[in-house]
Amino acid sequence: MAELSIDGRKVEVPAGTNVIEAARKLAIDVPYYCYHPALAPVGSCRMCQVEIVDPGKPPRVVIACKTEASQGLNVSTTGKDCVAARAATLEFLLANHPLDCPICDKAGECDLQNFSYKHGHGVGRFTEPKRQLQKHELIGDHILLDQERCILCTRCVRFMGEYAKAPQLVVAGRGDRNVIATFPGERMHSNYEGNLADICPVGALTLKEFRFKSRVWDLDSEESVCTLCDRNCSVTLDTKRNRLLRARPRQNAKVNGWFMCDVGRFGLLDHCNPSGREEGGFLKGARVAPAEAANALAEALLADRGRWLVVLSPRLNCEEILLARAVLGPLARALVHVPVAAEGGDAILFTGRRAANQRALELLGIEPVSAEDLARVAVEAATAGVLSFDSVALATLLGKAKLKRAALVDVWRRADPGTAADAAAPLGVEFFVPGTLFTEKAGSFVNCDSRLQRAARVQRPPQGILGEAGLLQELARRSGDAHAGDGVDPTARVLAALGQEPLTLLQLPEEGLDVAPAAPVVAAGEARLA
Amino acid sequence: MANYLSLEFARSGPMLLAEARGKGRWATAERVLKTMKPEQVVDEVKNAGLRGRGGAWFPAGIKWSFMPKEPKGPSYLVINADEGEPGTFKDRQIMEKDPHLLLEGIAIACFAMRAETCFVYVRGEYLSSLVALETAIAECEQAGLLGDDALGTGRRVRVLAHRGAGAYICGEETALLNSLEGRRGEPRAKPPFPAVYGAFGRPTTVNNVETIANVPFILERGVPWFRSMGTQGAPGNILYGVSGAVENPGIYEGPLGMSARDVIEKFAGGVKAGKKMRAFIPGGASTGFLPPGKLDVVMDPDALKKEGTMLGTGGIVVIPEEVELLDALRVLSRFFRHETCGQCAPCREGAAWSDQIVGRFQRGEGSGDDFALLNDIMRGSKQRTICVFPEAFAGPLGSALVHFKGDFERNIGPASPVAPQGATSRG
Repeated sequence: MAELSIDGRKVEVPAGTNVIEAARKLAIDVPYYCYHPALAPVGSCRMCQVEIVDPGKPPRVVIACKTEASQGLNVSTTGKDCVAARAATLEFLLANHPLDCPICDKAGECDLQNFSYKHGHGVGRFTEPKRQLQKHELIGDHILLDQERCILCTRCVRFMGEYAKAPQLVVAGRGDRNVIATFPGERMHSNYEGNLADICPVGALTLKEFRFKSRVWDLDSEESVCTLCDRNCSVTLDTKRNRLLRARPRQNAKVNGWFMCDVGRFGLLDHCNPSGREEGGFLKGARVAPAEAANALAEALLADRGRWLVVLSPRLNCEEILLARAVLGPLARALVHVPVAAEGGDAILFTGRRAANQRALELLGIEPVSAEDLARVAVEAATAGVLSFDSVALATLLGKAKLKRAALVDVWRRADPGTAADAAAPLGVEFFVPGTLFTEKAGSFVNCDSRLQRAARVQRPPQGILGEAGLLQELARRSGDAHAGDGVDPTARVLAALGQEPLTLLQLPEEGLDVAPAAPVVAAGEARLA
Repeated sequence: MANYLSLEFARSGPMLLAEARGKGRWATAERVLKTMKPEQVVDEVKNAGLRGRGGAWFPAGIKWSFMPKEPKGPSYLVINADEGEPGTFKDRQIMEKDPHLLLEGIAIACFAMRAETCFVYVRGEYLSSLVALETAIAECEQAGLLGDDALGTGRRVRVLAHRGAGAYICGEETALLNSLEGRRGEPRAKPPFPAVYGAFGRPTTVNNVETIANVPFILERGVPWFRSMGTQGAPGNILYGVSGAVENPGIYEGPLGMSARDVIEKFAGGVKAGKKMRAFIPGGASTGFLPPGKLDVVMDPDALKKEGTMLGTGGIVVIPEEVELLDALRVLSRFFRHETCGQCAPCREGAAWSDQIVGRFQRGEGSGDDFALLNDIMRGSKQRTICVFPEAFAGPLGSALVHFKGDFERNIGPASPVAPQGATSRG
């Protein structure tokens, strides 16, 4: 450890920590462009200049990103030399920077804007013709490059090499002809491209998917997780008028560090803004109000108590899984899930297992069954019908077995909405109750490393849709379940069931909670169906 | 005061090994490697006061002493033969005419620093230097002077010539190392210094060609001989390069501490056709302009520092009266704008911006506000970047503003664009 002093305040940090991070501990903002905590420092933007003050010597201007904290180091971020040096750096960076903030996606969250206000001059003295370069060049699957806005911090070049392990960006040219470029005639291809728009401190790298969609200050931002694989990367979801416009990684050292993959980032946009979504319920082939379908399904489940097979889904949040366990457990012949295997993951963040909450199903004792076993049990005489919360699992099952009765609760997307062929019930089931997206309800998810995190409600479900919880609560009311309406926070109930301190959803720490059990999990009903 | 570095410069091609051995080349290296200890060699060079001829004038022996005494793994010697400073053309004389002098020096320096491999980074444009050097290396390997058993001592000394690709910035030692490794030629932030983390992450010393060419003579003739030449602070001879409007441009060997006037008049025959001199550059483009009134400055690193300039590489450029100073300045500001690597914002933008402003003055469109602006550009970039490139472009610019301010003032335009107060930049 080393104790140093920054602007007269003392702070202790591990030896080798740089001055930017040491200052951060004191909530002193040292501005920077080329530095990024996840990348090796290069020290080229010259924005993080601070002063080292040694008694009896004139202050020395150094770059904070490459200055390591050492015992007794005395740093000033307000000395007149470093203040002048930072202002000079900004004047240089702004000289050729276009004044297109009014049409720039980055405006509002741009470090060039922010630092100019805080550290720059009010007046520009550059009267020469500005550099004219490429303004919107698609350089990857998702990224547009504006070479005029670029301040050449090279974060993107280093990110692609150091983090994404896909060194496909370079600095081409020399001096003031430097530009960020791909190899001639090629575009980037990587599962981590989207992060470039986040780490770009200016509007040089923007997302094709977000371009001109909204001013950032018009967005509603909430903390959530990505549910496109069971890494559950911490994200911030930006919505406007109930549409998800952007998903961004949220820093979480315990899960995803600073980044997220493109499968999640762009998959979420599609997932949360489903086109052709079936908003009605279905009952014996006829479209009905969702509540009517839910009521009829509840009656059918109660009429054949103990004879329905219920298939839960890893898309459900922990609270829904626990409620299903409490309400449907006593009613059903069995409560199962079909584990999803990993496919096509990478060694960085994407696990390839597209089952966000599979670990919660395991931890909460929902019985895992193979698709084959499920098909065998589903047609036994003791089974009256199958209720599935998972359209994929149900579609697989219907391909293997002829069911007596089938019910589906899920979000269903019409491939070709409005046509006669698409007016039938999803998968031809007897009961269809439209489900909700994970963003349409608050809840929690447990990732592959048993970390439970909060996912906020960021969208309203379409009118009339009750959601999974609505159906389950209706069932609880009818079957006289003791849990219903007792006022206990559903997340606290989940944590209690997992043997943890019963925190409420809002009490969960930002980094989430490790809910790994002390002993290996034994599924409650294991071997019941074998 | 006898010359020793330039004795072979009159020949038309490189001196080959057989002739070179007849002239005494390699005899000193053989004696040193067979009878001395590495520390003794370092001490000799230190005591001789040999300073680096690449422009920084850092004491070579002290630099050598930074190398690890008991290296765990390879150490490297790198020869900086990327002679790109405008007005400088001395190292190519050594490589093209007397390559064995350089190779002998390399063998001694490798021995002193316990390096088994030396990379010679040759400027891309110096094809004939490269060919001469590669021929000489092959001769030495065949004769057993270099290779796995150099000079029969059981020591390994390998020399590899590497051709640059034409970038001035690769003469900066850490940019050179990046380029040598196959990376973009951009200077590295220091620390770590090359002696700790150099070529391929190993301890490395980078020396200039002329510096190393002095080494065999110091070991052969001794410290008192070397110190009998030059100045107290900078002993020895130097290869003065004189170019521009002089009668006899060329490379001239002479002791450090001569006056610029003597070099120009006694060696190079004075200004061409008896014309008047407008200005001269004392030691390569980055050292800036001095007016004729300063012709009696002493060509010594410490003396020129006091004048606010540098000895640099000792490459004197004479600018005659018929050339406008702003035109000469623009040539250099363009050069530096073209050659900055561009990684650090102040240098990339400062070199370009100041070039644009000089261009305006050149067209008679300067503004009274530009003086403060040019000074702010220099102040905002000097000592504020990874390497000293801003000092290089500020050399000619700053000296022109000091010594030739009138040239600027005469070129302030009537309709000079002045940003209105409160307005942001226009473009």
